[in-house]
Amino acid sequence: MAAPVRFTRIVCAMARISSGIPLLGLRSLNACRGHRSSQTLRASFHRASSLALTSSQITVTDEPDTLFQKVSVLVKGHDRSVLDSYEFFATMAAKELGITLGNVFEPPKDVLRLTLLKSIHIFKKHRVQYEMRTHYRCLELFRLTGSTAQVYLEYIQRNLPEGVAMEVSKIAVAKVPEHILQPMWEEPTADNAPSPTADLKG
Amino acid sequence: MVGTSRLFARLQVSVSVGRINGPGFGQYASLNRATYATALSTSNFTGNKGGPDRGGRGAFVRRPRREPGEPRTEKMDSQQDWSAVYPSAASFRPGSVPLPVRMGYPVKGGVPSEKRGNLELIKIPNFLHLTPAAIKKHCEALKPFCTEWPAGLDSDGDLDKHLPIRIETTDYVSAGPSVRNPAARVVTLRVRLSSLNLDEHAREKMLKLLGDRYCKDTDILTITTDSCPLKQQNTDYAMYLLTVLYHEAWKTEAWESEMTRADRREYIWEDSASQHNVLDTLARMATPVPGEGVGEGVGEGEAPPREVLLARPEVQQYRDSVTRLKNEGESEGATLRYREAVKKLLSL
Repeated sequence: MAAPVRFTRIVCAMARISSGIPLLGLRSLNACRGHRSSQTLRASFHRASSLALTSSQITVTDEPDTLFQKVSVLVKGHDRSVLDSYEFFATMAAKELGITLGNVFEPPKDVLRLTLLKSIHIFKKHRVQYEMRTHYRCLELFRLTGSTAQVYLEYIQRNLPEGVAMEVSKIAVAKVPEHILQPMWEEPTADNAPSPTADLKG
Repeated sequence: MVGTSRLFARLQVSVSVGRINGPGFGQYASLNRATYATALSTSNFTGNKGGPDRGGRGAFVRRPRREPGEPRTEKMDSQQDWSAVYPSAASFRPGSVPLPVRMGYPVKGGVPSEKRGNLELIKIPNFLHLTPAAIKKHCEALKPFCTEWPAGLDSDGDLDKHLPIRIETTDYVSAGPSVRNPAARVVTLRVRLSSLNLDEHAREKMLKLLGDRYCKDTDILTITTDSCPLKQQNTDYAMYLLTVLYHEAWKTEAWESEMTRADRREYIWEDSASQHNVLDTLARMATPVPGEGVGEGVGEGEAPPREVLLARPEVQQYRDSVTRLKNEGESEGATLRYREAVKKLLSL
């Protein structure tokens, strides 16, 4: 009988904690990775300050952070005022988290129009027309780290209203990998260097 | 004998329909006076209850109908913590939102309907849980999980120098029967050829291998992969393609020595039929220009040597115009330039 009781207590604790910060849940987020790509760049680590969570949920790993030159968020919906409110929310969240916002603009809407027969049988002259309007809003964010992008996008996406879709295009930057820095052939102009095609022909 | 008791509670939905004015606004007009009170109504069913000796088992407890209390909005303080009222996304509750909101198309001569029982307000997504104060609170909690952008990479030039490879991916979020979107597996890899370590031969061979995937104006190679089902697989495949291209470009095969002028990617004027023709023509014209460095071995009436001829500005101009015509195709400007060059060369 003790086991169910213990389980309920844990559940209550989780409910209390999760109601304080409803968006984060109790998974430990692998955040705050230092960036190690070259000597000119400094790695920065953040430690959790006083949080409402019972234990520090932030783990710091040595895995290098991905860097995004640009993250472009396009939201689509049928109601323009919902997208207006969402844009206000997303831009404010970006400012609060210290993310450089680029262009925030509204691409022109798409209207899908259908003209259908009104009646199931004959009456060709009487039709009914429907249209579906899709409004767009685009936010461009520049120079984000992978952790920041993950945090921001998760926050944005958990608060996406019903009936709104989102496309996120990210441009990640990376170094030239080590195996492409130098050609692997010993002498690049040697004619008798064994080539894979020669082996296949033989 | 136990009498059958037909005691049942009936759900009573009271909807009173207001005036219907104008075409097509039936549903809106009906909401003007519609209430959505669904109440268990027991007041009408005393008849079938049976005698007073029906206690226990079949007794229907006549619950006194409770009047709805005062809405919470009356008791709200103006300095309250709003994020406690709407901590997360919830539908609109007229008793919890102390604002005199009206919504709906008005009846003729009327105003939009009030918030009590207004379906339009319930249907539309609201952002009551995302007030500026709430957003600030959330961001304060999220800030420790963010990392800073490295200081040495603020400009695009720095990024190109240190991190020249760009990998573009797209994620999709939408509601539907499935969260997957097959378009999310597409990966595009872009890199400038100038940031790769290539010599002349390797660059030429690379350009031949790339074909359409290279843009001459921006010097950017684009590899788009979507043949694998997962995004990670496609990025790995794109990097693999880049690696293979690079190493193949540096390799020199035995048959590459059989390359002819026709196989070359671009037209080169040096050592071409056009150059031979020009030199022959100028040799036949054979008027040495004063000021040219003519050697002592050349007398009057003999052609100046090749290098001298080639160094002449008209010959250079002719060379440029022919190269442009052959490489970029025929256009009005290119043909006119060729004409001018020929006229100058033959001193017409």
